[in-house]
Amino acid sequence: MNGLWLVAQREIRTRIRTKGFLISLAITAVLVAAFAYVPKLFSGTDTYAVGVVGTAPATVEQVEFVTYADEAAARQAVIDGDVDAALIDDQTVLADGELNDRLGLILQSAHRDAQIEKAGLTITPLRVVSVGADARYEGVRAGLAMLLVMVLFFLLIYSAMFVAMGVVEEKGSRIVEILLTSMRPWQLLGGKIVGLGVLGLINLGVVIAVGLGSAFVSGLAADLPPGMAGIVISAVVWFILGYAFFSTLAAAFGSLVSRQEELNGVLTPMTMLMTLTYLVSYFAAAQPTGTAAKVLSLIPPFSSMVMPVRTAAAEVPLGEIILAVALMIAAVAVVLLAGARIYQRAVLRTGARVKLGEVIR
Amino acid sequence: MLDIENLGKRFGEKVALDGVSFSVRPGEMFGFVGANGAGKTTTMRIIMGVLETDSGEVRHEGRPMTHEDRRAYGYMPEERGLYQKMKVGEQVEYFGRLHGLAPAAARRTTAELLERLGLVERRGDAVEALSLGNQQRVQLAVALVHDPTVLILDEPFSGLDPLAVDTLAEVLKDRAASGVPVIFSSHQLELVERLCDSVGIISAGRMVACGSVAELRAGEGRGLLKVVVRGAAPGWADGLPGEITVDGDRQVLLSTDGDDQAILRRAVQAGHVEHFGRQEPTLVEIFREAVA
Repeated sequence: MNGLWLVAQREIRTRIRTKGFLISLAITAVLVAAFAYVPKLFSGTDTYAVGVVGTAPATVEQVEFVTYADEAAARQAVIDGDVDAALIDDQTVLADGELNDRLGLILQSAHRDAQIEKAGLTITPLRVVSVGADARYEGVRAGLAMLLVMVLFFLLIYSAMFVAMGVVEEKGSRIVEILLTSMRPWQLLGGKIVGLGVLGLINLGVVIAVGLGSAFVSGLAADLPPGMAGIVISAVVWFILGYAFFSTLAAAFGSLVSRQEELNGVLTPMTMLMTLTYLVSYFAAAQPTGTAAKVLSLIPPFSSMVMPVRTAAAEVPLGEIILAVALMIAAVAVVLLAGARIYQRAVLRTGARVKLGEVIR
Repeated sequence: MLDIENLGKRFGEKVALDGVSFSVRPGEMFGFVGANGAGKTTTMRIIMGVLETDSGEVRHEGRPMTHEDRRAYGYMPEERGLYQKMKVGEQVEYFGRLHGLAPAAARRTTAELLERLGLVERRGDAVEALSLGNQQRVQLAVALVHDPTVLILDEPFSGLDPLAVDTLAEVLKDRAASGVPVIFSSHQLELVERLCDSVGIISAGRMVACGSVAELRAGEGRGLLKVVVRGAAPGWADGLPGEITVDGDRQVLLSTDGDDQAILRRAVQAGHVEHFGRQEPTLVEIFREAVA
């Protein structure tokens, strides 16, 4: 175990100090932070500007009043687009063409409320109780799920590639011959996977921290659905499972070749599987309650991305989550056993590409 | 004590090793020589467990070698392997830790080795910034850092300048003197002859000769008798076995057998004897003879 930990430490220490790691981390952080502001840009402004001539009404939510001297000035402001509408003497609303529906409702109800109050009446607003699924957060949840798809995919493929490259570096330079006289192949392989996995988790942690942090700063946090903690935990757990699965595959395939140039070719089956997983989870993010999403979220390795995405996009029964995790853990165990075997047999056979069939028996 | 017993290895149709056996005692420096592709590297890789043997076994202290035994060995593979982007000091220390040294001990032995190998100023440099000769010194440091119980070095001298060769030779002699069996392969036979207590000559997967340098010479058994006589009349050696060559007023007789005392008497009568003695075959000659 000591050997494994030493290898993991070396991976973390050497990689974390490289410019590449720090720069990509910074870029990810900036992108994620920017993402927290995107909904604001698309949903337009939160408040309406309304010109006022004469007495201004009391404060109205989501409306900012601008006082004008006379109707002509207010009319010009509406035409110029300085204000969304103008309220003349609490009687008439000037609009450029048709009045925005929402603004119309706001102004009408404010006007009505003011008159009712003047008449000395009080009214109790209607209470809304949802008896179906909570649909209020559907939009935000779909956005979260899309973001999660991208983050998980890039982190998984990035980390798995580093594992494969590290394996080939050691094999190609024959360091592995010295390493394997001081430790067992599983320690070397395990250490590499654990070390680079920790780096992946650091990346994910930064993404989550920056994402949530900037959501609070941008005010988006108010729109976040309840149960964010569950979504975050699910993303982390599924990242670990998916990473274990794909990085072991990457290491096993990587150990078949001795040169970095051969790596892309030998990794093709793995990258295709990852891309397929990405595509189905993208689909699941769009239709989280569909049968396809439900089924795929149970089947490893698709579950590693579909399930966290589904969890983010909609409510998922606990039983399904447990089943999916159990199946994925079983798949990871199988891949670890087979991958360690392939790695152990292939990593010392330098030279020409080792055929999978030769080492799998 | 390291015993290599009857190793056999095939790569497909090609027989790489065929019954290779030899032993190296504590404190013994064993030179492993042979043509390219004769089986030196294969043997060393099998000793280090990098390659599996088809038959035979490697024994450490009289019992089959385990992974734990090997962990205490120092190994320098034929193709040098270092992390190119890792710093020299960190790298040597890392391998020390992997071989089971505590952090403080790894730091200390790394400092000592870098000092000894003249790499102190390069300690903070990435390996890729070093010349090949210096990279080789780092490789050696990696093999030595954990104070190995046995040293297995594949071509440690290749590519080193004469000063570096001397440094390395000193280091190896020190290790051997402290009781460590040292095996190294080399094509520099003069070096092997100078350094090694015993030599193994391998050819096409078979050990064709093995023993101390003196034993190998004696084994040759037919060190030529060389007599140099000046001012002798032509024909002085008629009837003696061997060949006469004339070099100015010197006549040189090279003889393979016959009564050396009788030859000496004849030579003294014939002229002024400048040289009389048996020629010791050099390792180069023994090697040529053995692999022929």
